[in-house]
Amino acid sequence: MASTTHPRLETLGIVLPDPMPPAANYVPWTIAGSLLHVAGQGPVENGAIKCTGRVGAEVSVKTAIAAARLTGLNLLSQVMDALDGDLDRVARVVKLGGFVQCGPDFTDHPKVINGASDLMVEVFGEVGRHARFAAGAPALPFATSVEIDGIFEIY
Amino acid sequence: MIDKRLLELGIELPEAAAPAANYVPWVITGNLVFVSGQITFWNGELKYLGKVGADLSVEDGQAAARICALNIIAQVKSACGGDLDKVVHCVKLGAFVNATPDFTDMPKVANGASDVLVEVFGDKGKHARFAVAAPSLPLGVGVEVDAVFEIA
Repeated sequence: MASTTHPRLETLGIVLPDPMPPAANYVPWTIAGSLLHVAGQGPVENGAIKCTGRVGAEVSVKTAIAAARLTGLNLLSQVMDALDGDLDRVARVVKLGGFVQCGPDFTDHPKVINGASDLMVEVFGEVGRHARFAAGAPALPFATSVEIDGIFEIY
Repeated sequence: MIDKRLLELGIELPEAAAPAANYVPWVITGNLVFVSGQITFWNGELKYLGKVGADLSVEDGQAAARICALNIIAQVKSACGGDLDKVVHCVKLGAFVNATPDFTDMPKVANGASDVLVEVFGDKGKHARFAVAAPSLPLGVGVEVDAVFEIA
């Protein structure tokens, strides 16, 4: 398994979770030309799901922002795995697709997904600024509160 | 050429809105432009708030999707330095419809976005897409659409 530490992360005091294996007949990431596609990740820390339920109901926005950040750490963990531990091969964070498990009256999806967006800028600076969508979902796999997938441009 | 077609069609583009957080409206990687999810802003004003199937009719939803697509075209124009003739192809749209749980006409709603892209870009505007329902969307808008374009 690739290293989960990198000087850039150590400086920021960021510890990545182990990359999660996929739950079925798909893979956690694929590389097509200069684009690395990472499968949808959730708020999982070393095998344990850390945040389940609907945001705005059982889960507060504040807790969901933290879950989005943890989901972002899982994305980075897969990126590290794909790039043999060399985060410097990331040329640009291209796109995040953010799903928030919530009820019909929730409207703060962007605020929740900022937890992951802010992490990307913290780690990569200007090249961490990405396109994204943030949308609601009535339910997500394993009842997680957040799911985010990603596309990265790599060297 | 495309600017002329917009004029002929009487289609006005909204201002390309800037997001208010740590993300950007578009990213160019290679020959692809990834456009962030666009909502129903028209020059700073939110249109078509609510749920399709309850507060909004299918026709309202289509009009909302059309506004999302016009915002996408405005962002692509900005990504192309103002020159929409650089568009080679609209590759993909992702459409989210804020809908009631029993609503099933998401594709019909998303057609509001798909149709305007073909109106404006002709065959180059024909794209792959998904159209799904969401229990709610940012700021309570009826529709959100993101996109990928190939540019020269």
